[in-house]
Amino acid sequence: MTEAVFRESTAEPRTQSVPLAHLSVELGHLYMEDFEAGPERLREHFAEVRVWVDAVRASVDRRTKRPRISTCFLVDDYFSRFSTPAELIPMVLKEAERAGLVIDYLARESACAVADRIELAESVMHRLVESPPPGSYGSRPPVSRTGWLANGQRTPWTPRSALGEIKGWEPPRETAARNHSVFMDVELWSEKDGRRLWSCPFLAAVWQLARLGLLRHLGEPVLVPTSWAGEDFPHDWDRLPPLTRLTDTKAAFSAYRTCTLMPNRFLAVEDAVRLILDQIDVDAGALDQVATRSAGEGMPVPAAVAQRATYVFYEEPGGASAAEEA
Amino acid sequence: MPSPSGPPTHSVLVCGEVRTCLLPSLQALDGRAAAQLLRLRADDHVRVSERPTMYALSPEVLTGVDCGLPAANGAKVRAVGTVAVRGALTEGRLLQSTAYVSLPAAGPDVRRPWGQYLVRPGLVEPLGKLPRQAVAEGVLRGAGRGELDLGMIAEGLLAQLRRHALLDRRVPFKSSPTRLRWVARREPEGGRASLVNFTVAEGGLRAMELLLPADVPAAAAAGLCEDLALHDWLLTTTQYMLDNSRLGAADGPSVVEVLHPVVVHLLHLWMPRAHVDPALGHLWDVLEDRPGFSRQWENLGRRIRDRLALQAVPRPYEALSRR
Repeated sequence: MTEAVFRESTAEPRTQSVPLAHLSVELGHLYMEDFEAGPERLREHFAEVRVWVDAVRASVDRRTKRPRISTCFLVDDYFSRFSTPAELIPMVLKEAERAGLVIDYLARESACAVADRIELAESVMHRLVESPPPGSYGSRPPVSRTGWLANGQRTPWTPRSALGEIKGWEPPRETAARNHSVFMDVELWSEKDGRRLWSCPFLAAVWQLARLGLLRHLGEPVLVPTSWAGEDFPHDWDRLPPLTRLTDTKAAFSAYRTCTLMPNRFLAVEDAVRLILDQIDVDAGALDQVATRSAGEGMPVPAAVAQRATYVFYEEPGGASAAEEA
Repeated sequence: MPSPSGPPTHSVLVCGEVRTCLLPSLQALDGRAAAQLLRLRADDHVRVSERPTMYALSPEVLTGVDCGLPAANGAKVRAVGTVAVRGALTEGRLLQSTAYVSLPAAGPDVRRPWGQYLVRPGLVEPLGKLPRQAVAEGVLRGAGRGELDLGMIAEGLLAQLRRHALLDRRVPFKSSPTRLRWVARREPEGGRASLVNFTVAEGGLRAMELLLPADVPAAAAAGLCEDLALHDWLLTTTQYMLDNSRLGAADGPSVVEVLHPVVVHLLHLWMPRAHVDPALGHLWDVLEDRPGFSRQWENLGRRIRDRLALQAVPRPYEALSRR
């Protein structure tokens, strides 16, 4: 067939590709309470994490001769603001270095909600496609109306029948249950004073998609790392780029797979993240690019996006629980 | 498309339903407004084409389903997957929505994890084997209670678009929406697509059967069906206005009153194949040959112009009586 002579660019949108490493390792996620517990807490954290990072690297080495692994660190500036980049980042870097770790990329949690004036969380919310319980023929209300996402059917809400008798309780049901259900219902956001507050699992799902190279805005990459040129970090979180490159690493921020290292108290949150990831219709162009390139390198990614994220949950270093109680 | 989870899924049947209606807006929308109307997702493009006609196509969004498939022989086939649905606006005036799915010959015996369906958008897999012929007939006949209802999914999007804040919800003239149900049986790659039949039924219902080579995307078939549905709507609506409005009767509406909106809003919309995939453009030829869609349109246009021209000259008896 002959190539078309006439073209209109607005009629043929393209999805740009992004550079991809083999693995994105998250070395930690810092909340206010961790910061308040002092540098010892971070020191303990990195010392523990170091052991697992070595194991994770060994796992990638098994699959490829020239591994591309990037590391990242997330600081919460969304749910609570504490300290300043100028004070905090040097401390984090110093403690990581003490454990023999290098942090390549540093992200602000608020970037998962809005980055460079693009409402990432909102965009991802529009891409939720709920897992249909048996019997769904296309008539369910969209999740955008409820703000909750489940892995099955909730307990039916039937307070009274027409005749007034109270019906017995009916259990919820997990759609993918094997014999018995593990039913989960995740709050995606709350509203307060007309402002939407995204939930921690939802922002973490956006964060996973960014690390997996699957986020685009009108075909363009989002959350692109910016190198910090200045000497000192700013005194205001808003003046720090959403995603900062801290080293001259050649390994890209996004990767075929992610590995997240965190204390085991985050297990429920991350299970919720997987529930969300399992119900997101990600950009088809980006999905294709990752599938083609990973297969071309002989390490094809799992088909389902949630399966590309792995975790190491470790026991919280001693003293952490004491700090929380205090 | 490479499929990371094993061999790619080949579909043997593609089914869809197109709903076509007049945009409820007194003014036609320009390209910008059309893109705003059809922006179903904030991070995704609306395809806008200005030539040869202004045409805007929304990104496709998915609806998850797990239900029985309509089957003419009463076979019970449960299927799971996602239905793709999209909206289109032509010349800022005619609004369409299409829901469509591809179906493979067979699927696993139990439902997969949901994430695996989401990476194959627009594919609905049967549990077990697909009775292709029975399902094709079932889709054309229409869904029963609780069965996969593409029309309802298309209508859902159409209703959402018609409520959009951009629209004043006023129409320049009255018209009825139409529904086009279509099925396309997949043929080996490299073949030539063909149109098996196009049936005009009552109540604005149309049915269409195609043969579609494996290398032509399902979205291209949806585009062809939208194009045919649009032109069928134009013929249906214009014919109805000429035939049923008691034109020129003493107590009926005046000719100008009825035909003015046709001239202003519809006559320039006729542009067959304008946005159809080149691999499918030739399917129009069959309908141009018989019944002759464009012939009928030219004839309607002529009739309208003649009626309006007649209005411009005084009738002989009126001229006589004035003497």
